Amino acid sequence: MPKVVVSVEEKILESLERRTAAGAGEDISKLLAELIDLGFEYRLRQLYGRFEAGEFSLEYFARELGLNLRELYASLEERGLPTSNIDARSTTTIR
Amino acid sequence: MTTIIFDASPLITACKFKVKKLVIDHLLPACQIVITPSVEREVAILGARYPDGTAAGERIARGDIEVVPVAERKWERPLAAYALGDGERESIEVCAQTEGAEALIVDDYLAFVTATRLGLKAWMLPDLVVQLVVRGALPGELARDILEAIRSRYQAGVIAHSLERLQEVEGDA
Repeated sequence: MPKVVVSVEEKILESLERRTAAGAGEDISKLLAELIDLGFEYRLRQLYGRFEAGEFSLEYFARELGLNLRELYASLEERGLPTSNIDARSTTTIR
Repeated sequence: MTTIIFDASPLITACKFKVKKLVIDHLLPACQIVITPSVEREVAILGARYPDGTAAGERIARGDIEVVPVAERKWERPLAAYALGDGERESIEVCAQTEGAEALIVDDYLAFVTATRLGLKAWMLPDLVVQLVVRGALPGELARDILEAIRSRYQAGVIAHSLERLQEVEGDA
């Protein structure tokens, strides 16, 4: 896994230090990595909600998340989320 | 043979899911599939590490899927107002410029609405499958299997609607 240097708000770092001191059993870098993963997941779910509402397209969604379209397609599929946001309840398909 | 413009997401779906063979290989004998360079880039170049990206790339290389660039950006200004990607914008432009193009295949709500507002015929991939049955270019049973194979990529109700439509079509025949 690649390593990067990031600035972290002091209160977040303090909370992670307290958690480690309390015997959470993980070092701070692992807890920070977990927070980053959770942040990515949160961002994906937040953008998916807006995509599902028809606010923007799938390709636009991918760009907002920093992925290419195929990577986003795979990410949605892994989570069991449809890649189409056309809902039969709100649209009329051809007859 | 009818000419159809494919956006990236339905192309990935058609190159990924199988009913004995890839869905795209059931569609290609029945229609001329055209994509834009942006769609090729997203699916076959950036997506080359996925089997569907390779499948799309092979069919492009063989000339089974045609890549057509935008000749004139007729709707640059109205399209800029929508939160679309380059592939979707180019697909809309190429659909408008391609003589005899029947429809744009798009599974995206905003692209579907934008294309429709510009006067183009937009179909979802399940709509194309049903239309090919209407034209006698695809057997009903195969169409049903294809719709079931791609079900996971669609919102609830979409495939159910297409299956009902298929039943009506077969009842009319």
